[in-house]
Amino acid sequence: MAQCVQSVQEFIQDSFVPMVAVLCSEDAERVTRKNSLSFPELLRPFCRLTSEGHLRDPNNQVVVVKGLRISVTGINTRPPQTPEMHRLLSQAVSVCQPPEGSPANVITAGDYDLNISATTPWFETYRENFLQSMPASEHEFLNHYLACMLVVSSCEAVPTEQFLKLSQEQHRIQHSGEYTHPKWFIPNTLKYYVLLHDISEGDEQRADSVYEDMKQRYGTQGCYLLKINSRSGSTGADEQMPDPWSQYLHKTSIHNPELYEESAVSNAVENNIGAEEDGLDPSIRDDNETHPLQLDQPTDAGYPSNNASQSVNNVDMTRPQKQASVTSHTTPTPRGTCLTLNDHDHIRQFIQEFTFRGLLPHIEKNIRQLNDQLVSRKGLSRSLFSATKKLFGGGKVPEKSIAELKNTAGLLYPSEAPELQIRKMADLCFLVQHYELAYNCYHTAKKDFLSDQAMLYAAGALEMAAVAAFLQSGAPRPYPAHYMDTAIQTYRDVCKNMLLAERCCLLSAEILKSQTKYSDAATLLIKMTSEDSDLRSALLLEQAAHCFINMRGPMVRKFAFHMILAGHRFSKAGQKRHALRCYCQALQVYKGKGWALAEDHINFTIGRQSFTLRQPDNAVAAFRHILINDSKQSAVQQTAFLREYLYVYKVRNTHSTSCIMEALTLFSTGEKQAATHVSLDQEFDRDLSPLWRELEERVVAVVNRGAVPITFQPSQCCLNSQTDNLRYPLAVVEEPIIVEVVFRNPLKIPLALSALCLLWKFTPKDFSDPQGNTAGETITNEKTMALNDIIDTQVIPEFTISPEETKVARLKLLPHKTGELHVLGVVYNLGTGEVDNSEGDLMCVRGQQNLEIQGPRLNMTKEEKTSVTYGPDHRLDPIITPLMPLLEVFFINFPTGLLCGEIRKAWVEFVNVSAVPLTGLRVASTHPEFFTFGSAASDLTPVTPTAAEHCSAYKTVAMPPSVEIVSLVSPAAFGVTSGDRPVVAEIPLSQGVLGPGEALQIPLWLRGPDREGVHEINFLFYYESTEKTAKLSHRVLRHTAFICASRSLSVRATASRSNTLHSRERETEERQEGEEKNGSMLVFVDVENINTSEAGVREFHIVQVSSSSRQWRLHKCINPVGDKENRRAILASRERGKLCFKATRCRTEEGGASSSQKYTFADLNLGNEQIVSSTTPCADFFFRRGLPSEPRRGGVSTGGASQIWRQSGTDDGVTNIVKKCSEVEKLYTVGTESIQTPLNFSLFVIFKKNVLLNLQQSNTLDSVKIHFSELIHHRLPSHTLVVYLCSPESLEVHGSFSWLGQTQYKLQLQAQEVYRLSLKACFFQAGVYNLGTPRVFAKLAQTSAMCETSQQSAMPALIIINSV
Amino acid sequence: AEICITSMDNYPLYIRSIPTQGELKFHYTVHTSLDVVEEKISGVGKALADQRELYLGLLYPTEDYKVYGYVTNSKVKFVIVVDSSNTSLRDNEIRSMFRKLHNSFTDVMCNPFYNPGDPIQSKAFDSIVSTMMVQAC
Repeated sequence: MAQCVQSVQEFIQDSFVPMVAVLCSEDAERVTRKNSLSFPELLRPFCRLTSEGHLRDPNNQVVVVKGLRISVTGINTRPPQTPEMHRLLSQAVSVCQPPEGSPANVITAGDYDLNISATTPWFETYRENFLQSMPASEHEFLNHYLACMLVVSSCEAVPTEQFLKLSQEQHRIQHSGEYTHPKWFIPNTLKYYVLLHDISEGDEQRADSVYEDMKQRYGTQGCYLLKINSRSGSTGADEQMPDPWSQYLHKTSIHNPELYEESAVSNAVENNIGAEEDGLDPSIRDDNETHPLQLDQPTDAGYPSNNASQSVNNVDMTRPQKQASVTSHTTPTPRGTCLTLNDHDHIRQFIQEFTFRGLLPHIEKNIRQLNDQLVSRKGLSRSLFSATKKLFGGGKVPEKSIAELKNTAGLLYPSEAPELQIRKMADLCFLVQHYELAYNCYHTAKKDFLSDQAMLYAAGALEMAAVAAFLQSGAPRPYPAHYMDTAIQTYRDVCKNMLLAERCCLLSAEILKSQTKYSDAATLLIKMTSEDSDLRSALLLEQAAHCFINMRGPMVRKFAFHMILAGHRFSKAGQKRHALRCYCQALQVYKGKGWALAEDHINFTIGRQSFTLRQPDNAVAAFRHILINDSKQSAVQQTAFLREYLYVYKVRNTHSTSCIMEALTLFSTGEKQAATHVSLDQEFDRDLSPLWRELEERVVAVVNRGAVPITFQPSQCCLNSQTDNLRYPLAVVEEPIIVEVVFRNPLKIPLALSALCLLWKFTPKDFSDPQGNTAGETITNEKTMALNDIIDTQVIPEFTISPEETKVARLKLLPHKTGELHVLGVVYNLGTGEVDNSEGDLMCVRGQQNLEIQGPRLNMTKEEKTSVTYGPDHRLDPIITPLMPLLEVFFINFPTGLLCGEIRKAWVEFVNVSAVPLTGLRVASTHPEFFTFGSAASDLTPVTPTAAEHCSAYKTVAMPPSVEIVSLVSPAAFGVTSGDRPVVAEIPLSQGVLGPGEALQIPLWLRGPDREGVHEINFLFYYESTEKTAKLSHRVLRHTAFICASRSLSVRATASRSNTLHSRERETEERQEGEEKNGSMLVFVDVENINTSEAGVREFHIVQVSSSSRQWRLHKCINPVGDKENRRAILASRERGKLCFKATRCRTEEGGASSSQKYTFADLNLGNEQIVSSTTPCADFFFRRGLPSEPRRGGVSTGGASQIWRQSGTDDGVTNIVKKCSEVEKLYTVGTESIQTPLNFSLFVIFKKNVLLNLQQSNTLDSVKIHFSELIHHRLPSHTLVVYLCSPESLEVHGSFSWLGQTQYKLQLQAQEVYRLSLKACFFQAGVYNLGTPRVFAKLAQTSAMCETSQQSAMPALIIINSV
Repeated sequence: AEICITSMDNYPLYIRSIPTQGELKFHYTVHTSLDVVEEKISGVGKALADQRELYLGLLYPTEDYKVYGYVTNSKVKFVIVVDSSNTSLRDNEIRSMFRKLHNSFTDVMCNPFYNPGDPIQSKAFDSIVSTMMVQAC
């Protein structure tokens, strides 16, 4: 139970006060009417006595009466009928609302912090009104009239006669039996004669004389002259007078008429909504149904049925009330206008006089009288009485029968019954605050009543006994709570009198509360809730809830639950505001604790209530809460919630004058911004980003002649959460900015967004202005959408998100002016996914979502580590710079798959799509050896790609085979100067500029990577504007190509010194060899087709072998020449072939000094066409691979070869490899059709050289048929060597030849001796064989056989066997 | 009938009720009963905390339902609400129901992938509760 303003004692005392009736003459009434007050109303503010009164009890002890209040009412006033009373009470409650800034009372219970209003003034108002409107009952006398004031005006013709008339009238009312109402305490009611004198108009002397007359007639104690109206009403209007009546009179109806109106309206609305609610929400409806409460039913039972007595009196009774209400409505605060402060004092004195002189002595007298009666009866008649009762059990038969007629619950005593006398005395004692005596009397009466089975009376006595016991000062006995419980139960169950039960309950609860028995109070209050009155139930439940929270261990959840019940009842009683308040308070407990279903229910109700109370903001908030949390509701429910939300939202926006767009935080968002030509789908790759950065840095370094400027920042086209967003991104005017927003629909129902677009703020600035940036006015499209001439905002008309889907929306902006742009958020119309055909217009509201991006968490300094701070993120604040060129690059005939080493020609087209020219076009790549644009030297006329489609990628010359063509090329002609791999290539533009709209198409040669697999090749195109602007120095365009390389030919080349000695050669055809020693070399090229029919390749056809070297050139193909040669060069899958060439040293005199810098390209074509390898693209790729490093080159292919030989002779063996570009044109067949398409193919010939030990051995190539001569030449000093010549058969498996005859020789050689040995071999098939397999072991003649050393030479000795 | 398990901070870990149309009311009932549970726990006193009987017995009867409570040593609360008209369920049956519930709850807690404080989504637990519900109704 909430805290009250009054203390319990005050409250109870005020609940039971002596009642005084007023009977007014018409003139007197008129006098008071001047103040727009009736006489009782006039007195009401002064009815509380400020001084103490005294009276003596029957034992002659003085009883002090403190703070007595009397209640003065018109004799005709009667408590309102039940419906009327309900209306009044409900009105009183609805008017009394918690003050706006009510003191927040925070109660902490466990982990709950609840903000609860400490007081419940509406409850107190209700209680006060309720107690005042209690009808007088038969079984108690507390609110029966003790006295009657007869009021007559002094201006009447004969006041005394009037007094007489009134006196008779009173007597008639009390005793004639015509009226059951009002009820009177004691037969001889105290009559108090009041002469009312109007000072402003009446004759004062006459009044005095009449008063004198009255004094003589009625005694000084029985009459009074009251002078009022000291001034005329109109004059004193300007004077500020206190208005003591305002807080007493018609508080309910006058105070706040508009509020009342509203409550009436809301009642009506509520009904509508209620119906709607039932239709919409099954769960709520269930709740309603399961809740057994029904609407109010008037309680007639137990109420005194005096409706029957329809007399004049009834009319009289209603009249003053009506008048009062009418006047009070028409004139706002005109009360007491004719009264001065003196008049107020007069009235106060009058009341005091009346109470102390008239009323208290009257009560005292009556108490004595009753006491005497009782005492006298106690001795004799009481016992006799009970004896007779025992003897004649049916002593009260007639009475009982009456009682049974009227009330089955018990007896009805006649008003003069002795049992009632004691009760009467108790009541009197109670009224004058003599609680001890009162308790005793009540207690006695209770026993009597109980023994008589007069339950109503007994209950009344029990109730009052309990109250009196409580009020006894010093508390000699504990408060008998069970008395109250019995009383309540009796009232309710036996007597069916809910009003009395309620009163009893209110009293008891208040008392229990004061004794901190909150639990009992709560039980009591909850028990008292019933079906018949929603308002009462609601109030009591609320009080019970307060009890729970006020317990020593606060029961928070019980509090919340009862608050919800109270809220429910309030809403049924039409008390919308109170209902809302209850739900809100309960929500504090349920909020965020995981009780989703309950929370949703509360929020939904709050939403509804707020809406009907025209608090759309709260309604929207509540509904939003249902929707945004991870709702556990079913899809149907969610649909209903959403529809309700949209409806409420719509109404709210139409209601509010300024249409403010509200952020709907239904969705979580992520952002990504992108510029043109960038695939947004491609996820940010942490590994890739530094790669691009490095490429760009290289280009920039090249452009700036080797140095990267300090201000360099890599261009970033697509920004996301992982990129560096500290800087403001730069965007170019007239180029679209795309923002990617991720929407997530957390609901189980589809949502339809429409008219989705970005919201921005834009500050125009002119960057070309040299003296600082002149900032223009900031523009935003929040209010008006028609700003497309500044920034074109793309609107997505429809955007549907399926249930629980995450979807990305790409929103485009196209700036037309330079300046600073800030993307603020997105706006959209939110609607349900379904189209309402019936209504026509789709249910949708305008929503706005602000985009705020948080940067990455900072974690560098100590402060940042210890606190949670986030860096800035400027992704959405691009700076729009002036026009920049924009390049588009197209690849034509760009392959996706290539064979390893395959050369393919493609075309690349550069288009400048912007309005300004671009220049300085460069390209950088991670794989510069992959492509070439051709050298500047190779003057290729750019043919259109379509025309060139079927041509070979090579420049060819018709030429008979086996003719060596030699050409000399400088690497500088191919743009290669240093040993570095050229990463950056410049693309030649006509006049160095690509004008607006212009396109440039140039050929591009691609060479398949050497390793099979998928290769990712990154291109970075760099270009700049012709005019330098500060903001953006250059732009880049990125491209990533994926090439699938499949296996083709594996080429291994070995080179060995030719063993043809300068003087000993026999039968050779080498003519040029004569000049030089060691001037020729054998090159073996092992070619294997390792392609397993991938990429549709069946066989390769080797058409040409070329060499490129500074010192060496291919001289001759040693392979047999003939018709069969072509067949030999065709390699099917997994076939292996061997090509042998003789290489010779270039003639030095040809090149002279410059020849050392030049490379000799030698082509040996095997077909009829020569491919000029010294031009594009072969030479390009050769040089692009990078020039061989100096020592390597020297080791093999330069004249210093022999030098290296000797140096490396100490090692076991050094393998030197020279890569050389040669090429093979291959033939392949697709399927069964024999369409032959030449494919261009280049292969590398690898020279491999093995180095001998200290003993050199030369093999002579014997090309003439079967004879093979092995020369052993040894240069050791005069020692004898034993040489074994072993047949190799046991050691090596040779293809298809075998040595004949003796296969092992043991020889002894003298120093400088030459021994010639003939070996015979037999060949079974035509082909090329290596005869260099014999092994030679040598030792000094003196040493043992154990130290024979192998003299094996790897020097091959080839022989070609032609088939006969 | 309804079975509910709440964590020590009175967050619901598991709620199941049949029939489902009165679910909201059940939730309210269970939530409110937590007050009584807390009252009973605090009322037991600290001296007997070790040998405390986990079963709290009938928390309170309402017109239609009987609410029983059970608290584990880690202050996890089990609440069972049964129909008042159901006379077959005596105190002993309820007690064994709680014990069974506690056992299966312990099994859930033993699951290393269960994060204490999360709503229980174990199928095994579900099926045990289902059988108990069938028995109770």
